[in-house]
Amino acid sequence: MTEDPRPTSAALVEAVLLVSPRPVTAATLRSATGLPDRELRDALAELETRYSLEYSGIVLRQVAGGYQFATNPACAAAVERFREEARPAPLSSAAHEVLSCALYLGPLTRGAVSAVRGVNSDAVVRTLLDRGLLAEVGTDHESPGSPALLAVTDDFLAATGASSRDDFPALDSLVGPEELARVRDRLGSVGETPAEPAENGEASDESSETA
Amino acid sequence: MTGEARTETRGRSLSDFTVDLDVYSGPYEWLLALILRDEVEIFEVPLRELVALYLGNRDPERQDTLERDTDFAGSAAALVLLKSRTLSPAAEAEAESAEDEALSPEQLAERLSRYLKIKRGAETLRERLKANAGFHPSGHVLRARPGRLQINQERLIGAARRTFSRLTEPPVRHLGPITVTLQDLADVIRTSLSRGPVSYEDLTRDMDRLNSAVAFAAALSLASEGRLKLSQPEPLGPLTFEPVERAERMS
Repeated sequence: MTEDPRPTSAALVEAVLLVSPRPVTAATLRSATGLPDRELRDALAELETRYSLEYSGIVLRQVAGGYQFATNPACAAAVERFREEARPAPLSSAAHEVLSCALYLGPLTRGAVSAVRGVNSDAVVRTLLDRGLLAEVGTDHESPGSPALLAVTDDFLAATGASSRDDFPALDSLVGPEELARVRDRLGSVGETPAEPAENGEASDESSETA
Repeated sequence: MTGEARTETRGRSLSDFTVDLDVYSGPYEWLLALILRDEVEIFEVPLRELVALYLGNRDPERQDTLERDTDFAGSAAALVLLKSRTLSPAAEAEAESAEDEALSPEQLAERLSRYLKIKRGAETLRERLKANAGFHPSGHVLRARPGRLQINQERLIGAARRTFSRLTEPPVRHLGPITVTLQDLADVIRTSLSRGPVSYEDLTRDMDRLNSAVAFAAALSLASEGRLKLSQPEPLGPLTFEPVERAERMS
């Protein structure tokens, strides 16, 4: 009777990740495998090398605050043929804006999203809730009717390849001071005329693009 | 018959008009249906492009050109109206319209700057989502295998205790020893009824409370079996048990 060989640390982590449908945090991995911190880090580093884009059809991703196995994007076409499913339709510009609102300004209500964008966003929010990229995480008790508060989900982080919200560039860094100054100048230059046309020029961009 | 066919033709003069847009490709009529069902967002539909497509495909030589033009103009006008309503500020924003009018240039600039940042953030997200679209997570959910679950002993003991423990039985000492059964009282009632109708008060005159209650229960039981009739002319009035004739019972 032979004894089972003792699995390596990498094998333990690999096995746990294989059976998890969601990203697994380091703390959960530590608890499940019983590995000390250092060994867990080494195991993850070994797996990252083994399951890298260059060498494997499976890659180890660090997303949504944890680790997750996923297929290599280079193999996506074959995977999609095998699963007989089309990749979801790309999101619309409006949907990206709503996600951006929830990511940078969230949790916030539907009304707040609409106020930032200048257009009604209810239909877009509904689509994003259906796709699991947005979720209602609470209620705004200070507003009349206690509307639901929306925030991005772990699925959103996984879909964007982000480990956490900190992985995204800061909101203030997205627009340079020169560009902001130009906006202010434009508003200043139309000081005599009503400010409305300038606002329309920016906020209803999507209507001018698509109509 | 001809009239119906004509009506159908008139009603669907655009049935052969197909469109090819970024958001949708297929029959125009289906596009209208999808928009009405909120499956295609109206503000994603480029109306100018739609009109250009129609004009590009328009054949002035067709017999039904006028009908087609009219139908298209009608549906396009409806789309414009729908789109303009959708693009209107939300109810919350409408409530603030008075405030909006009073916005100073600084406040307006602040609002526009914030929107510009959100829009840039949206562009960043678009790139990230596109770059990560090819990753398919190992999403298979494994079912737990029966018999191999890790069992928490304390929870198991708690569950067993809840399942097998009995509620404390209510005290019945005040009732005294139970010396009568429903069957005994039913026999007493049957015997009394053999002499004719009997009132509940007469029947239970010499009984204690327990026997009176059981007698009442026995009478209800016999009544439900059709062996006696309960007669009470007025609520809470005297209750009389009447025998049921055999023939009546048989019927």
